[in-house]
Amino acid sequence: MKRLLTLLALAAACAYGADLKPVDETGYARLVAASKGKVLLVNFWATYCVPCRKEMPQLVALGARYKAQGLEFVTLSADEPEQKKDAAAFLDKMKVAAPVYIKQARDDDKFIGGIDPKWSGALPATFLYDRKGKKARSFFGEVPLAELEAAIKKLL
Amino acid sequence: MNVSTLAVAVLLASAPTRIDTIQATDLQGKPVTIQTSGKITAVLIVSTNCPVSNDYNERMKALYRDYSGRGVSFVFLNANANEPAAEVARHAQAAGFTFPVFKDLNNAEADRFHAEFTPHVFIVGRDSQVIYRGAIDDSRSAARIGKNHLRDALDAAMAGKALPAAETKAFGCTIKRVGKSS
Repeated sequence: MKRLLTLLALAAACAYGADLKPVDETGYARLVAASKGKVLLVNFWATYCVPCRKEMPQLVALGARYKAQGLEFVTLSADEPEQKKDAAAFLDKMKVAAPVYIKQARDDDKFIGGIDPKWSGALPATFLYDRKGKKARSFFGEVPLAELEAAIKKLL
Repeated sequence: MNVSTLAVAVLLASAPTRIDTIQATDLQGKPVTIQTSGKITAVLIVSTNCPVSNDYNERMKALYRDYSGRGVSFVFLNANANEPAAEVARHAQAAGFTFPVFKDLNNAEADRFHAEFTPHVFIVGRDSQVIYRGAIDDSRSAARIGKNHLRDALDAAMAGKALPAAETKAFGCTIKRVGKSS
């Protein structure tokens, strides 16, 4: 029984042991390209961002709800490397499944502008891509969940 | 388009070019008016709670130390509706600020400057034109600063030269505006 519990604990750790992979400008493009065939939902957040933390449970639930239909939910932390541990702890608490990412841009302006020229970099920000990897919607600030869900359903 | 998107769109659509006076209140609630004409004015929108803003406390003190004696006027504004004057005073004391921080009630000046973040900084030139808006530098971590945006802009403005950049991407916590819970 003890061994079983240990194995279960290890399995849980593997599922949620958030290992934030660094993403730069080209890495983000690769990330989007790799999700072709699925609808991709990318949420930019940070540990210091109160509305980001507030909306995360709903986004996680949304990601889980539509995963089987082809939705891939990805989180990308805008924290500094010094906050990586705190970011991982939060993602673990929220039971955010891997893969999870952390921004490590060489040039923030280019990174942000490359994702959406209209994005100021304010958090949270959420981007929705269709199955061809084309950006379908951008949400700046707390995402209106009903609107997001409708947009996801339309793309799936 | 949701409200946040609309707000950002409006913010970007009509950023101000001229600021003649800045209206704020000191931490005892007394109104203050700061004229910008004839001097270089650095306006820094700050927070007591935002970890990013707090990571800049020492850098802000150094900026004030290095430039206030060289003719740059500094205006530190707290525009967050959820950070009352008493809290701003306690924070300033704890952080060892050598400069006053003013309250921007109802985020009126933050709105006028189209400020979005803490910290978010602006330079108003001698002719009251807003000549720089953006970040203090390019890294929250002092150990990884590549570009000292604000220092470079102040140096150029003081020398009467063209600024290296009129705008950089600010980053930090969003300003907690009146009527917005988060």
